[in-house]
Amino acid sequence: MATLDLFITLLAIPLVTSLLAFACRLTGDGSQKLVTMVHAIGSTLLLVTSLVAVWTVYRQGELLAAHNWLHLDGLSALFLAILGIIGFITGIYSIGYMNHEVDDGEVSVGSLCSYYGFFHLFLFTMLLVITSNNLIVMWAAIEATTLSSAFLVGLYGQQSSLEAAWKYIIICTVGVAFGLYGTVLVYSNAANVMANPGDAIFWTEVLHHAGELDSTLMHLAFIFVLIGFGTKTGLFPMHAWLPDAHSEAPSPTSALLSAVLLNCALLVIVRYYILISAAIGNEFPQRLLLIFGLLSVGVAAFLILVQHDMKRLLAYSSVENMGLIAVALGIGGPLGILAAMLHTLNHSLAKTLLFCGSGNVLLKYGTRDMNAIKGLLRVAPFSGALLAGGALALGGMPPFNVFLSEFMTVTAGIHAGHLWLVLLLLALLTIVLAGLVRMVVMSVLGKQPDNVSKGELGWLTTAPLALLLALMLLMGTHIPQPVTQLLQQATTIVLNGDKAGEAELRALSVPGMSTTGAVSTTASQSTPSQQEMYRD
Amino acid sequence: MTGTLLVNNLAGLMIVTSMLVIAAKKPTLSAGLYALQSLVLVGIFITLANMFGAHELYMWSISAFITKVVLVPLIMYRAFCKLADPKADGGVISTAALFMIAAAIVLVSYFAVQPVQLPMLTELKPVLAVSLGHFLIGLLCIVSQRNILKQVFGYCLMENGAHLTLALLAHGAPELVEIGIATDAIFAVIIMALMARRIYRTMNTLDVQKLISLKG
Repeated sequence: MATLDLFITLLAIPLVTSLLAFACRLTGDGSQKLVTMVHAIGSTLLLVTSLVAVWTVYRQGELLAAHNWLHLDGLSALFLAILGIIGFITGIYSIGYMNHEVDDGEVSVGSLCSYYGFFHLFLFTMLLVITSNNLIVMWAAIEATTLSSAFLVGLYGQQSSLEAAWKYIIICTVGVAFGLYGTVLVYSNAANVMANPGDAIFWTEVLHHAGELDSTLMHLAFIFVLIGFGTKTGLFPMHAWLPDAHSEAPSPTSALLSAVLLNCALLVIVRYYILISAAIGNEFPQRLLLIFGLLSVGVAAFLILVQHDMKRLLAYSSVENMGLIAVALGIGGPLGILAAMLHTLNHSLAKTLLFCGSGNVLLKYGTRDMNAIKGLLRVAPFSGALLAGGALALGGMPPFNVFLSEFMTVTAGIHAGHLWLVLLLLALLTIVLAGLVRMVVMSVLGKQPDNVSKGELGWLTTAPLALLLALMLLMGTHIPQPVTQLLQQATTIVLNGDKAGEAELRALSVPGMSTTGAVSTTASQSTPSQQEMYRD
Repeated sequence: MTGTLLVNNLAGLMIVTSMLVIAAKKPTLSAGLYALQSLVLVGIFITLANMFGAHELYMWSISAFITKVVLVPLIMYRAFCKLADPKADGGVISTAALFMIAAAIVLVSYFAVQPVQLPMLTELKPVLAVSLGHFLIGLLCIVSQRNILKQVFGYCLMENGAHLTLALLAHGAPELVEIGIATDAIFAVIIMALMARRIYRTMNTLDVQKLISLKG
């Protein structure tokens, strides 16, 4: 398939699916079946096409099309893979979840069509963020993700969900306006110094001329970019919208917001990080990432510990994990960046599992209050076990994937000489684990309440969870070769021509990624941090 | 030279109009004042186009006139005239304090852009400072006002500031860039207006201080 055709197919699938889903509103009776079918086909096609695109990048390297407007490289391929897989899994889960909501009368069939319509429109806007090479389109697409998902957040139309949607739309558009200002600074500066100002709008072209950019403007630009897109990534103190939006949205949407949307905004930050590091060196951007990242982890850790609302707890965990990724990027070096990339993938899998699991809890108990949710293991043993496993994995328990990337972050920190930072980070991660264990103890264990009926909710709402836990176990023990390669390609792009770093990256024997020897080293090295984690 | 003088004075007028947008009591009046401010912005675009002989900027002035002077204020006027909540009028701080903070913002912006080294900008630095300050005044509007409709205006002010910076530093940008930003702003305003109406219908208030059921 020609490159341009590939891009067009990729972008057209969610857009067409979205339009068809909206059109299903007009079909009257039977529109529930019809829209569900449209949605299922659209989700599956998107999964297949994204994986084809990722595979093409993996085989051929960077792809450029439509006069430089569209672009995929190893870095965006990683995020595209996440979008395809998580979009599909939350898509399947949506069918089970939303059918229950329609049966219970919480959502009308008309709203269901809008839900699927906005679901795919949201996927389309995120896809545009990932594939855009045009800096302004990249910004506009991030803004469009807010606009398309605001309705998903406010779907239930209750006071609290409308309030959440309003906060979401205001905080994010304002935040992203900062992003626009940063974008304008970078673009206008590049247009002034480049021989062909028309090219100054393309990320790939600006990167070639990064050395000529004005130092003051680039310092200013990175601050604006980090505040702007950091709002959307959920970094403290711009995260205020996140717990509200994530907790009030329907659970599959929460999963999509947390596991894909936050990553898309992160990708934009990484793009500017590469660009601005090439212009002014990486010390300033790294320091800012470290500060914002560490603050996010710190604040979120304590809020996780005191939450009673299950979905708010998970939302704060997203803040914590995004902070951790920022810290890993801030530590930098091949190992730090690789850890950040791996953690992005790992967090997406884990958080989708937990948000979908919390959706099952919500359907069963009708509340998110953990004081009322007891004995899930007795009510729905399979969902309960998966939720507990997922929560412990998210907290960083081996042999699951999150442990691996957290451990890599810690190792990278020690290598870079940030000993105090690493100790602080470990203490905070211990608090997070304690918070997640508390959640498991409060809701999964315990006696079953009298008013809740026993039994699972059907395979559509449990199979995606099982699949995710299996993927997490796989990623924690034997990362498949293509995934390793993809992660290394992504890291190479962030390193941006740092030859010493690239050589170091090739020499890395990343735990769980290649040889058995590396795995055993991890095991022996990991004891202190594990002890730290098990202390609670 | 006269061009520079004109642009710098018009930029000063932008700040004045934005303060009026914030201080106005009724959202519909703010919509009118916002149209006035956008007209000043269009004036700056035309003057800059004349000074630099930049053909693209004339196109920008036309599209900015259509979107910012006509469409967005009209949408806001139509959407907001049915929403009224007198209890939510006014800000969390007094108007005098608001003006003081705005002045401080402009002063800080003035010093922040001093080290910028771009040849074309030596005489237009005050405008660059104003564009940055204007952006931050928009933010001030959002955090200081109780009426949620005022938050929409705050966003529009921020957007005008960013637009002025873009015109100043990159007037050679393709028309498509400008259209892209303007379209996005229109959609943002439409969706915010729809959401505000849903909130007004469900909760019968526009006061941001009443939207406090979610916290922690």
